Amino acid sequence: MSCDEKKIPEYPLTQIYFYLTEGCNLKCRHCWLAPKYHSAENPLPVLKPELFQRIIRQAKAMGLSGLKLTGGEPLLHPQIHELLETVRAEELRLTVETNGVLCTSELAKQIAGCKNPFVSVSIDGADADTHEWVRGVKGCFEAAKEGIRNLVKAGLKPQMIMSVMKHNEDQITDVVKMAESLGCASVKFNIVQPTARGTALHENGQVLSIQELVELGKWVEHTLSAKTKLSLQYSHPPAFKPLSKICRNGGGCGICGILGIIGVLPDGSFALCGIGETVPELIFGNAATDPLEEVWNKTLVLKELRQGLPENLGGICKECIMKKVCLGNCIAMNYAGSKNLWAPFWYCEEARKAGLFPASRVRS
Amino acid sequence: MENEKLIANPTIVLREEFDDWAVLFDPDTGNAYGMNPVSVFVWKHLDGNHALEDIEKKLRAECKNVPDDAGVFIKEFIADLVAKGLAGHKFQNA
Ligand code: SF4
Ligand code: SF4
Repeated sequence: MSCDEKKIPEYPLTQIYFYLTEGCNLKCRHCWLAPKYHSAENPLPVLKPELFQRIIRQAKAMGLSGLKLTGGEPLLHPQIHELLETVRAEELRLTVETNGVLCTSELAKQIAGCKNPFVSVSIDGADADTHEWVRGVKGCFEAAKEGIRNLVKAGLKPQMIMSVMKHNEDQITDVVKMAESLGCASVKFNIVQPTARGTALHENGQVLSIQELVELGKWVEHTLSAKTKLSLQYSHPPAFKPLSKICRNGGGCGICGILGIIGVLPDGSFALCGIGETVPELIFGNAATDPLEEVWNKTLVLKELRQGLPENLGGICKECIMKKVCLGNCIAMNYAGSKNLWAPFWYCEEARKAGLFPASRVRS
Repeated sequence: MENEKLIANPTIVLREEFDDWAVLFDPDTGNAYGMNPVSVFVWKHLDGNHALEDIEKKLRAECKNVPDDAGVFIKEFIADLVAKGLAGHKFQNA
């Protein structure tokens, strides 16, 4: 694994994904990270506010413009108010990914006071039974809805995220209606990934087949989208998206931001993303001991990615004409499943094998 | 310049899709560009026989609800194609 220093393009660090808590207050069946269950009796480690602030100070000098707070569950962090105050004072664009359960009106107002805040809340069913079957904790449905109401009252228009599986696929339309009635701006449909707890769902046949997923994507993007004022996003890779959804002004397409992002885990480790919690090879030092600039500029894996993406991608990604905008969808997930940085994304590989990969999106 | 005939770079591949959008793909660089239906119409007329104003006239004749500022869009789109090396002005013998 050698890198030619001169040929590696430089990338500013524009975004940090903070995985604030090692635990989570829910036990979702499909969770791609599988955090331990956090309760009053069993509190789990969280990112220290001093480290959070130190990382932000260092990153701002390197180009940081925004950050994402995620988990586990970010709002579970006992000093979340202090962290949000730092984000506000540093004028960083804020994204929060939450299960909504702990989103009080006070927190919602504080989030709304940050720069360009964007909040997504996970809802996996249109009724308590379905949502709580997926999320594993009684009472979390009403609590999440209350969290959304608090966000809306604070002037935000959250995104609802639904992870689609066999158990809830018949509730997609009702979830969109619920998002409309609660005041959300958009709904995103996530595909269950075969990592961490999602692996068991895949093995037990509780996820949709690749044929069903591809068909569902078309239906969401063409039929369901036409029936609602909300923006609907289906999380399949760009090769499956209509160009009208991924291109601006009919001109060029946006470039994936992965090469400008680093993840920070609850113990202060730097990682490619939260998947570092289960894939130690993708951890690059710790904020307590290592300067961020050194990690960003000297970590071999990051250099390899900058030099090799997207050309070194294998399988269907090698053949795909969207690879410059997609960069293999999620390198960390591809690696977790294969231990190969250049492995193709499972969804596109399965689609190709089933003859479902769009012919207009391959080289020849 | 605006009366010069325009021609698409012959190495570029046009991949039309079900919804009248299309991808322009450059096999040499691996770059892909998404094009909306108006851009596709323009691209198909970069055949060395049409200048910018001919293309605008044809668009107005053949398509409904063409916006007033379509000419500006076409001009900018062509300038972008030329800048990216995807199209050029046809060489005219004196
Ligand atoms: S999916 Fe999110 S809310 Fe559910 S267990 Fe995982 S981290 Fe927690
Ligand atoms: S084949 Fe690879 S590069 Fe292409 S859309 Fe799928 S994941 Fe992205």
